Amino acid sequence: MTDPRIEVSGLIVRYNDVVAVDNIDFSIQAGELVTLLGPSGCGKTTTLRAIAGLEDPSAGVIRLNNETVYSSAQRRNVPSEKRGLSMVFQSYAIWPHMTVSENVAYGLNIRKLPRAEVDRNVRRVLELVQMSNYADRPASKLSGGQQQRIAVARAIAFSPTVLLFDEPLSNLDAKLRTEMRVELRELQRRLDITSVYVTHDQEEALAISDRVIVMNHGKIEQIGSPETIYNRPESIFVADFVGAANLIKGSLKSPGTFETIGGLHLKAAATTKQNPTTLALRSAYITLQRDADPGSNTANGTIHRRMFHGDFIQYVVDWPAGQLIVRRPPTEMIEEGANVTIAFAPEHCILL
Amino acid sequence: MTRPNLSIATLMMLLVLLLCAALVIYPVVFIVAESFNIGEPGVFPPGEIGLHNFAAMSEDMDVIANTLMVAFGATIMAVTIGFILAWILTRTNIPGRARLERLMELPYYMTPLVGAMAWGILAAPKTGLLNQAWRVFGGGADLFDIYSPLGIAWVMALFEGTVAFVMISAAMKSMDPSLEESSRVMGAGKMHTALRITLPLVAPGVLSATVFVFAEMLGAFAAAFVLGIPGRFYVVTTAIWEATQSFPPDYGRAAALGLSLFAAMVVTLTIAKMIMRKGSHATISGKAFRPRPVDAGSARWLLMAIAWGYIVLAVILPLAALLLTSFQRFATVILFDSVFTLANYQTALSTGTLGQAFVNSLILGLSVATIGVAIIGVLTWIIYRSKIQGRTAIEYVVMFPQAVPRLIFGLGLLWAWINIPIPIYGTLWLLGIAYFTVFLPLGLRTLAGVVMQIDRSLEECARVCGASWMQQMRSVSLPLLRPGIAAAWLLIFIASIRELGASIFLMGPQSKVISPAIINAWLSSSSELSAAMAMILTVTVFAAVIVLFAVARKLTGNPA
Repeated sequence: MTDPRIEVSGLIVRYNDVVAVDNIDFSIQAGELVTLLGPSGCGKTTTLRAIAGLEDPSAGVIRLNNETVYSSAQRRNVPSEKRGLSMVFQSYAIWPHMTVSENVAYGLNIRKLPRAEVDRNVRRVLELVQMSNYADRPASKLSGGQQQRIAVARAIAFSPTVLLFDEPLSNLDAKLRTEMRVELRELQRRLDITSVYVTHDQEEALAISDRVIVMNHGKIEQIGSPETIYNRPESIFVADFVGAANLIKGSLKSPGTFETIGGLHLKAAATTKQNPTTLALRSAYITLQRDADPGSNTANGTIHRRMFHGDFIQYVVDWPAGQLIVRRPPTEMIEEGANVTIAFAPEHCILL
Repeated sequence: MTRPNLSIATLMMLLVLLLCAALVIYPVVFIVAESFNIGEPGVFPPGEIGLHNFAAMSEDMDVIANTLMVAFGATIMAVTIGFILAWILTRTNIPGRARLERLMELPYYMTPLVGAMAWGILAAPKTGLLNQAWRVFGGGADLFDIYSPLGIAWVMALFEGTVAFVMISAAMKSMDPSLEESSRVMGAGKMHTALRITLPLVAPGVLSATVFVFAEMLGAFAAAFVLGIPGRFYVVTTAIWEATQSFPPDYGRAAALGLSLFAAMVVTLTIAKMIMRKGSHATISGKAFRPRPVDAGSARWLLMAIAWGYIVLAVILPLAALLLTSFQRFATVILFDSVFTLANYQTALSTGTLGQAFVNSLILGLSVATIGVAIIGVLTWIIYRSKIQGRTAIEYVVMFPQAVPRLIFGLGLLWAWINIPIPIYGTLWLLGIAYFTVFLPLGLRTLAGVVMQIDRSLEECARVCGASWMQQMRSVSLPLLRPGIAAAWLLIFIASIRELGASIFLMGPQSKVISPAIINAWLSSSSELSAAMAMILTVTVFAAVIVLFAVARKLTGNPA
């Protein structure tokens, strides 16, 4: 795992007085798919565009395939077209005055490949995205999902070493979005292409990434595998933004014991935090049954509200520390007003 | 986008900025200087400076009163017409609505000059065709007197007030229909909804359109000229013209009047913009809605007749009058009395100076449109697509001529170029430069509209795919811009061949152009000859308009 294809260090991007990206560092290995995740305005798209050479950074270094493409110290800024990467735009950016195959062939023709090779590649990638039948259609007559496929085909046609995705699925409806998510991941694995993927959808980020970079206010909050980000959030922001979590206020009573407001004493996982103020607890890791492990934290509560979501049931439970959100499988139906025993393992209690 | 060498770009930018500023600001400096000049007239810089020219405006109180009277009358008529038409065409289900909406653009292309002449032919006391017809059918005195202030205001409302319809229907269209629908759902009736929801939401748009139209009317020239001069009825614009034509020319009076008019228009336009900004709370959401049309029932035939009535008054009747007159030896509506002839067209096209005026206008139209689109295209790209510093300054400078009445700009250009040792006064070059300068805002607005429509990522994607800037321009940007470029070319071409305000000061004996030539023919009291010339101008403009509509259809049919 030491073949970095993308290295970003000390990157700063300013728009006039606003610092959009504030001194961030990360590197991405060959074949990896890494997601930049964060709320709108967190600097994720700006970072992506800086890698693409579409945004002029104020400081830092960007290296692609061990070659410096941007360096403020060396006053070096390789233009977009010389960086050898490719990108799928949020708006798809399908050229409406060209046919589907003209769109796809664009990067190949720019590279002056022989006609036969251009045709072969266009056919290959259109097949990959299952759009072979549309080759001669005018590009302006395609649906959103079809445009998205063509945008992907065009981006991979000239075999770039690095592929950038700028919220590629955000304009599709929910059903198509989950389908395309699977397809994109398949394609990326099959072509083994190093990818950076920008999204504000935490579910999408967890589902398709090898690693996730969570950003907020232009800074990196946490870098890690989807499981780490979900199970071991390192900040209140990450715990809150990724997945559904209860953030319980309180203070550290003694090492390993957290006293909540309302006076509950909860055993928690080890922490390096000096003065944790919050205990983060995923709503999926809480049970409402008696048969808990002896080592678990337990407390009594009452079901305040039940909301049936189909794939799960969300309970709002009154307990001494306020209200607790609990998600249970749809098989576990409990009436509103019922008394329950709340139980959860200490290792799921993250002190922040 | 990264430009390889920033210092060269900055230098270029400075050069462009200076050049634009020289073209745009320089003439205005002369107007200001001349208005304070109380020494030898026309000398720059002035020998003596004082306020005498402004003090002398007290003698022009009647002119100012005339201007206000005509502008008020014309504004009321234009806004009433505009409001009724906008409501009919955006909110009711009259038959043939789409086609009628297209036709509403025609009065604008008729031009105030041609419209005023046509109405002069139609409704002049005694000789006017309508008055002649009235007498034939037994009427006594004249039915209309188009040479009256009311007549002038009427013509101005018809041909200079078309913007009222455009602005008010834009306000009506930009209103979210759900705002009205929710009122209905809450239980309010049609009438209550119209009074409590629709009207307050549309009011700021209508009010700002009214103030805007009033500013336009203050600076209107052609109608007051064609219909006011014969009866020695002067408004500010025609008084400025008269001051420069008297002997000796009273440049001080012209400049002081011009500067005051300019100031009055700037103040009025600022008020219009403020009303627009303050009032645009919920109506303007950027989206173009198609509000659900009101079912007008059987009244829709009446409403359709009203809309068509406007087209008849502003297009069909004037054109018919011009056509009839242009083929007659003496203009008359009594057909068995008339002598038909082609002589007017022969004179218009063959006589040395007149024929030359048409050729000159065509040369100017073709070259100003071509060179203008090329240069303005580059300016548009700099202002809206590059990240080069100072681009907003350029935008301000380029849009500036919009604020200055054409007539006053022409006056400033006249002095500006007479005082420069380059001998272009009295040549087509000067007219070309003047046209290019005054049409900068028109070109920029048209091209900017098209550039903004093209999503930036379409260009960025080409770069990421490996295209250089040149390749990107050739393969993506220019093909997408092509219909917009064609539209801008046609608009500048049309504006050039019909230009009057600036031309009237700048043309010399060797560089005559159509519109002023038509006015000269009109003033030397040959309505038949000027009708023929006006017909030729109108046919040329309409031919260009037809091409323009075709291009516009292509533009909207192929959304980027």
